[in-house]
Amino acid sequence: MDENLAMQMLRLISSLIGVWFAVCTAAAAQGLPRFGAPEPHVKAELIAATDAAVPGQPLQVGLRLVHDPEWHTYWQVPGDSGLPTRINWALPTGVVAGPIEWPHPHRLPAGPLVNFGYEGDTLLLTTLKLPADLAHGTVTLDAKTEWLECRDVCIPGSADLKLTLPVKAQAAPSSHAARFAEARKLVPEPVDGLAARGTTEANRIRIALDLPAGRKADRIEFFPLQEGRIEPAAAQVLDAANGTALVLTAAQPVKADAKALAGVIVANGGPAKPGGWTALVDAPLVAGTVPLPVTGAPAGAVASGPTMTLLAALGAAFVGGLILNLMPCVFPVLSLKLIGLAQHRTHSGPMAAHGAAFAVGVVLSFVLLAGLLIALQKAGSALGWGFQLQTPWVVASLTLLFFVIGLNLLGVYEFTFGSGLGNTRAADALVGKSDWRGSFGTGVLAVIVASPCTAPFMSAALGYAITQPAALALSVFAMLGVGMATPYLLLTLFPALLSKLPRPGRWMELFKQFMAFPMFATCVWLLWVLAQQVDAGGVALALGVLVAAGFTLWSLGLAQRGASRFRWVALAGAVLAAVTFMPIATSDPGSGSKTAGGAGWVEYSPEKLAQLTADGKPVFVDFTAAWCVTCQVNKRVALNTDKVINRFAAEGIVRMKADWTNRNERITQALAQFGRNGVPLYVLYDTSGKPTVLPEILTEGTVLAALDKVKLASR
Amino acid sequence: MKAAVIVAAIAAFSPSVFAAAVPGQAAPEFRAVDVTGKTVALSDFRGKTVVVEWNNPNCPFVQKHYTSGNMQALQKQNTSSGVVWLAVNSTASSHSDYLPPAKLAAWFADEKAAPTAILMDTSGDIGRAFGAKVTPHMFVIDPNGTVIYAGAIDDKRSANPADVKAANNYVAAALSDARSGKPVATSSSSAYGCSIKY
Repeated sequence: MDENLAMQMLRLISSLIGVWFAVCTAAAAQGLPRFGAPEPHVKAELIAATDAAVPGQPLQVGLRLVHDPEWHTYWQVPGDSGLPTRINWALPTGVVAGPIEWPHPHRLPAGPLVNFGYEGDTLLLTTLKLPADLAHGTVTLDAKTEWLECRDVCIPGSADLKLTLPVKAQAAPSSHAARFAEARKLVPEPVDGLAARGTTEANRIRIALDLPAGRKADRIEFFPLQEGRIEPAAAQVLDAANGTALVLTAAQPVKADAKALAGVIVANGGPAKPGGWTALVDAPLVAGTVPLPVTGAPAGAVASGPTMTLLAALGAAFVGGLILNLMPCVFPVLSLKLIGLAQHRTHSGPMAAHGAAFAVGVVLSFVLLAGLLIALQKAGSALGWGFQLQTPWVVASLTLLFFVIGLNLLGVYEFTFGSGLGNTRAADALVGKSDWRGSFGTGVLAVIVASPCTAPFMSAALGYAITQPAALALSVFAMLGVGMATPYLLLTLFPALLSKLPRPGRWMELFKQFMAFPMFATCVWLLWVLAQQVDAGGVALALGVLVAAGFTLWSLGLAQRGASRFRWVALAGAVLAAVTFMPIATSDPGSGSKTAGGAGWVEYSPEKLAQLTADGKPVFVDFTAAWCVTCQVNKRVALNTDKVINRFAAEGIVRMKADWTNRNERITQALAQFGRNGVPLYVLYDTSGKPTVLPEILTEGTVLAALDKVKLASR
Repeated sequence: MKAAVIVAAIAAFSPSVFAAAVPGQAAPEFRAVDVTGKTVALSDFRGKTVVVEWNNPNCPFVQKHYTSGNMQALQKQNTSSGVVWLAVNSTASSHSDYLPPAKLAAWFADEKAAPTAILMDTSGDIGRAFGAKVTPHMFVIDPNGTVIYAGAIDDKRSANPADVKAANNYVAAALSDARSGKPVATSSSSAYGCSIKY
């Protein structure tokens, strides 16, 4: 499989890097000759494409740089560090040198930095204009050349290069002619029919490319012709969802007034590679929206998601769905279902129909939610599962929903669809009282409320599904729904099981009223989530909405009991609630998460993680979110216990917290590396930097057992 | 597809963007131990203009500004008028360029340099927080803790000490603008030099 190969490649690459570091460290430790001793690591030579200079004709010359292995020199824009190679010509009268015609560069990573330059055997071309009256005999070209040669250390290099050619009426190709022909191919030029357009938003630049027929770009690198425009080390993400586009990260400070971005495109590794090409582009820039593209599921360090077969994915989805019924945030819905089940016993309708309606509701909601998610991902938004709760207005809306349901359960009002429609009880539909529509509604609600908790069981399936055709992806989600609905379906198919439930009676009304309290408790949880996302004013507004809604429904209840004049009061209350809601609806979801790292926890950043693992420090990364109840439960029962804390400390494990409460593209990407699309995710890096993924439901025992298994410094 | 997956994976694994000290924004707070073992925090210097210089004595670009006496002159001139000058070395201890505190201090002494403090940032945390990429990468922070300059020391992008004379020194210009209460004319530039050995 592609992904397996990719993973093997990655392992190979990482182990090679490891060996290289080890060698360097050993060399440094043993006091071997230091790198950067004055001997040159780059050989420079001035050569010509022809064996003679012809008066009045251009003469093609080139600076050939032959680098020792691992050494490099720089392109005209050097990237994060370095200096471009320079040629100062001293030429006979009338001979004029053009600029260096640079072959396309390569990305050269140096720790967290990326430089643009050349390794191996490189030819920097220059075209000389020779005057028609160039004196016969010989012509001597003098190139004072300066460059910076670097490996992990840098040495300035220079050479005074001379080339003497006979001046003749005709010239033949020199022994270097083939080299020139090769080098010429590598020099980017504008390509007919290739159009580039840029869109900027904040520090993101999206370059959309219209490729001429016959040109393909499975892989693109962009090199800017100006310094300080794009962040050299930032990942350049190819977004092939709608045409071909590359999303770049603008350098800080962002030049917001820039009208264009010029650069070199290197596709598929460049002309030296099969199917590769290079081009010069100048993309006009306009402000707009640049969603961060989702890179599909990159071959992660863990084989869980991407390497799954269809059957395994469907199976995992089914089991995941089953377990969903046990997740903490499904609990309020479970209680709704309990009411529903108890009440169905009072009706004569076939139980199986209710079960089927519930199942259809669940499955359909999953499919719809997944369809929406896939559509959003196709549209390029960096959203993950559970994303609903990353937006303040959604959280506030859910709070309102549960509050309203709670009031209904308490009997404050009956929700009717106006007088004309008679007594269709919509609220009952939600809690599943009277007919199949109620069961269907319960199914829908169950999925909506469960979605933040679905992450653990669904992420792997989702990671797999996203890379598959939509129909296949949707069937995986449908399976998840089937799994979730199965216990309920079984209860309705075998009503004998239901007889274990108590007989209906007045207790049912009391039970219904009591069930308002889980609803209110859910409101508390949602408000707590909201408090992580907005400031105190925002929470106060949300509470104001609840008061206004309460007033509205109370008035409505009075109206329903005959005091019809209260209908207008209710309307006024509804307007008040809506007005109060407006600021929440428009609040920025990304406005800084207030969730602190907490004692002993380091805030997650990919750089920090890379640094720590490179230093051989064990790291435990907790991908979490305030709205993820499973995460909170795990924290209480497993991660913040004395035993685990002491063990972490004893092993010198750095605890890192990646907080996904608000949208965070970098965390979304990190999750994607593990084939995940939601939290919780727990990853333990051992001293060799090898990641181990822990289960999503933690106990003290599982954490301690995981620590026993990996390589840590203390053993 | 194979290639795309590999590229995507490598892109995803490679560290992407730094945090950065950006002109007009607050400088990231840090706490570090200097070569004498004293703990120094950026916030200690609230109310003073602070220059942060990324240093690595083995880098030819750093050598350019020290053998020419350029950096020392800038340090002396400004520290004597109340500016705080912090030289930061972010070289990882595993790198061949790494100098232990005592040796680093000795190098600064040999060069007759006059920074207020020489900070060890072996972990590279400060460098990453600032988005420092090269030596010498220069930052100027105003008394309120706001970055007013980030970038190269001057506009002659070379390792040749002879170029110092003809160069337009951005750091000196920023400090002079700040002293006279003017907004800094050139508040950022692309730094040049050796990559920091994180």
